[in-house]
Amino acid sequence: MKLLTHNLPSSHVQGVGPRGFPLHLQATEVRINPMEFNPDFLACMIPKVEWAVLLEAADTLHLVEVPKGLTEGYDHDEKFLRQMHHVLLEEDVLEGTLQCPESGHLFPISRRIPNMLLSDEETET
Amino acid sequence: MSDVQEATNQLLDVNLHENWSSIQVTESGPRSESEHLQVTIGATVPTGFEQTAADEVREKLGSSCKISKDRGKIYFDISVESLAQVHCLRSVDNLFVVVKEFKDYQFKETKEEVLKDFEELAGKLPWSDPLKVWKINTNFKKKKTKRKKINQNTDSHILDYYENPAIKEEISTLVGDDLASYKDEKDESSKEETHPKMLKFRVTCNRAGEKHCFSSNEAARDFGGAVQDYFKWKADMTNFDVEVLLNIHDSEIVVGIALTEESLHRRNITHFGPTTLRSTLAYGMLRLCAPQPTDIIVDPMCGTGAIPIEGATEWSNCYHIAGDNNPLAVDRAANNISSLLTKSQIKEGEVSWGLPIDAVQWDICNLPLRTGTVDIIVTDMPFGKRMGSKKRNWNLYPACLREMSRVCRPGTGRAALLTQDKKCFTKALSGMGHVWRKVHTVWVNIGGLHAAVYLLKRTPQAFVHPSEQDGERTPW
Repeated sequence: MKLLTHNLPSSHVQGVGPRGFPLHLQATEVRINPMEFNPDFLACMIPKVEWAVLLEAADTLHLVEVPKGLTEGYDHDEKFLRQMHHVLLEEDVLEGTLQCPESGHLFPISRRIPNMLLSDEETET
Repeated sequence: MSDVQEATNQLLDVNLHENWSSIQVTESGPRSESEHLQVTIGATVPTGFEQTAADEVREKLGSSCKISKDRGKIYFDISVESLAQVHCLRSVDNLFVVVKEFKDYQFKETKEEVLKDFEELAGKLPWSDPLKVWKINTNFKKKKTKRKKINQNTDSHILDYYENPAIKEEISTLVGDDLASYKDEKDESSKEETHPKMLKFRVTCNRAGEKHCFSSNEAARDFGGAVQDYFKWKADMTNFDVEVLLNIHDSEIVVGIALTEESLHRRNITHFGPTTLRSTLAYGMLRLCAPQPTDIIVDPMCGTGAIPIEGATEWSNCYHIAGDNNPLAVDRAANNISSLLTKSQIKEGEVSWGLPIDAVQWDICNLPLRTGTVDIIVTDMPFGKRMGSKKRNWNLYPACLREMSRVCRPGTGRAALLTQDKKCFTKALSGMGHVWRKVHTVWVNIGGLHAAVYLLKRTPQAFVHPSEQDGERTPW
């Protein structure tokens, strides 16, 4: 699971609502998966990213390169874009967990795939 | 003008520009005999997507298409130089070069006379140019792969020519790409080139129409006999070099020579599931949604992942998520994604490039995605025949549509949904007019079943939890 994907899901455990976002990431196995650098894609995608979520996730994975905020003209800063490219798309979590911040429920990540299925008691009807 | 229409119009404007530049290239090329050869190419496409395929041809080749009455076929003219690019079209299954087209063929009264006419026809057709094209084409076409057992090694042999460097028209790099298993076939073909008259051929006849007094087998047999006499080729139904096509649709006859050995629709998938969708159909559905750069495209019932994989390879400036509740399906999808990575590894040589795609296991009725974050949803809904059941669909479809309307971005979001259970779908959709608006329906044929692809647009209205009316659930 890439970090860009981690930015999207939220917990749907019953009763949790918007407090189910973001899911806390823990990774036991991570692999670097090189991807073709596409600056236009990144420049447009970055504003859509929830920055705080990304910071936390990058922190958990011990990636030190993520700046605290977006600076003016980031879309022309190639160094910055390349760093973001690496963080968002090239770090691939193979094994780990995603934790619901409200209920504490753990969703496992196995062989790059997060399992977000809930048992019947936990789902909303 | 709706957003989708505006986006489509913008795309069309771009297409016109590309049209001009491709024409200029062909006119400034050096003069040589075969380079100014214009040919008519026919392509079979999934029925219902003829227009989408025509759009792709116009966009990528700069040619306009004729859509024949015989469903599922389009025709367009190109110069021989563009042949490699034709193989890179994503919406076509099979390609052939047209030898001759009869728009209104006059059939004689009796079977004997009709078949005699076919025999005489063989010698009167303009074969030389199409055969030249066929010869040039043997370098570009995907050779039939020997599918014995799919294991880790053979996966990597399934190269796809849409990815091959022949786009840059360097045939030598193509040869370099071939793996050891192709060496045998190459040796064979080089032997045959020294004996051009020892070609093996077969005739395939497709006949549709009510007023014919003959069968396709009879036509193929007699026409084939005459072809054999004319060219002195050897007839071989399985191991052939040249496949002559005789397509008869009412009074329209097209004689062609096949340019593809294996349908191009098997391109992306190495691990098939019980209901894997053809890649050409997946491409058509995605194209209907007019993906814009950085769109988030989700297939919440991905199965083997045919749709997101096609999306990730063709629209690599969007982000694709494949999800399914079935662990087997997600597994297969992940394997198909890995196989794709292996293929690109072979092409590049050292580095394997990742793709903008990820897989998640989830339940479509309860998607772990925030409200209004998805731009495009494209999915193949369970028909209720091989997968699921019609009875289950009565509950599943409304739940799906509701959850999809929640995650889809209001105003700009859109969805392309394929289903055969049209009755159930229409009923489920009827209660959702405040969030989904049906923009277009494409009637398609999936393995004999009459299915439909519904193109829906998400209305600007924000999603309201039913609970906000009756206070049962926490509002999102």
